[in-house]
Amino acid sequence: MVPREEETDRELMRRLQRSGDERALTRLVMRHSGRMLAVAARLLGSRADAEDAVQRAFLRCHTHARDYRPEWTVTTWLYRILTNACIDEIRRRRARPEEPMPATTPAASGRAGAAAEARIDLKAALTKVPTEARVLLVLRYVEGLSYGELARVRGITVNTVKSQLKRGKEILKAALVERPRRRHEGGRG
Amino acid sequence: MTSVNQGTLFDLEATLHDRLRPEPVEAEAVRRIARGALRRLEQIERIRAEFVVDASERGVVAVRRGGRAEAASRAARLHAERGREELHEYLDGRRSYFGVPVDLSRLAPFQRRVLEGAMRVPFGETTSYSALAARIGCAGAARAVGTALGHNPVPFIVPCHRVLRGDRTLGGYAFGLPMKTDLLALERSTPILEGCTSTRILCRVGCGALARSRPDRRVAFASIEDARSVGYRPCRVCRPEAA
Repeated sequence: MVPREEETDRELMRRLQRSGDERALTRLVMRHSGRMLAVAARLLGSRADAEDAVQRAFLRCHTHARDYRPEWTVTTWLYRILTNACIDEIRRRRARPEEPMPATTPAASGRAGAAAEARIDLKAALTKVPTEARVLLVLRYVEGLSYGELARVRGITVNTVKSQLKRGKEILKAALVERPRRRHEGGRG
Repeated sequence: MTSVNQGTLFDLEATLHDRLRPEPVEAEAVRRIARGALRRLEQIERIRAEFVVDASERGVVAVRRGGRAEAASRAARLHAERGREELHEYLDGRRSYFGVPVDLSRLAPFQRRVLEGAMRVPFGETTSYSALAARIGCAGAARAVGTALGHNPVPFIVPCHRVLRGDRTLGGYAFGLPMKTDLLALERSTPILEGCTSTRILCRVGCGALARSRPDRRVAFASIEDARSVGYRPCRVCRPEAA
């Protein structure tokens, strides 16, 4: 007997739609949650919150399986659900300002420290970027999504994707360049 | 100046590619995610299967476990039917508010005030027993508030699960703390603001206009300004700016 080929994402989604098959959901989690965690962690800034968001996204993937249409690539569909979950988490944080964004760890010294510091700078700079542009930047640079895919994930035009990315990068650049300059001037950096 | 700018921009591209690269994920985290999602799913299914909605002519009077739903008249049947539908939509993560009327007229005045206060705690958010007591003008009566909530005849629709202890620990719940946790998690996974990608209109989740749009054409937004920035406008029916 010929060994059965790995089921494609679309086949798994079809099983999920037809019978709510929990094994199909588990398969999808095993296959995609690593990449989704990376995106969520960059968007939310905390690993624990990211795990929670990915879990909620998969829960929704199951309860809303019948909304899935085969013309969607499954990963695009999953990114839509995941970014929806992360964006709503950001909305909730804003509504409850007494719970601040997770604090960044203090920078270590030395070479590894410098890299860590740059990472922290980028993390802090990302929080200055408006939500929509931040989502696009993260999907673009963590996952390498194309303009077309980004437009589909967020339900906007390709032109809007481009202008949002451009604006996001300008804000990032301003935030990243400003800090070292202030340090040279003897400010508090 | 231009060349400097281009230089910085080039660096930014490299920085983004380098720093945002995904990191390896432990297998245990993946297993945790799968287990957690399945467990929550089971709990939601259980609520859907076990609970029935009773109504009077004025609105829903009870959501309770087991047995057959009671409704004396046609008006009552309609309320019960609508309550059940909205509850199922809520459990499916397709509804962020209940529109069905609730009839608390059979309850003692104090409990009615407590439950009416609980109904004003927004979806996806929480308050404390003492804050709720203060809000209904009975500051210091946190314990009595807790008791009144514990005997809430209309769980889920009157969101007693959104009331926690002052230190943000769960407090109590008539159907067990795991269910309280799961309901709060469910509300955290249902967005409040969603736009339709073909009409580019932003609605509150549960709005009839949004319900008519194809489900795969919905995106969540964190604020009205965010939605506006990418070309969406607020709905004139549900008016998300007023929410």
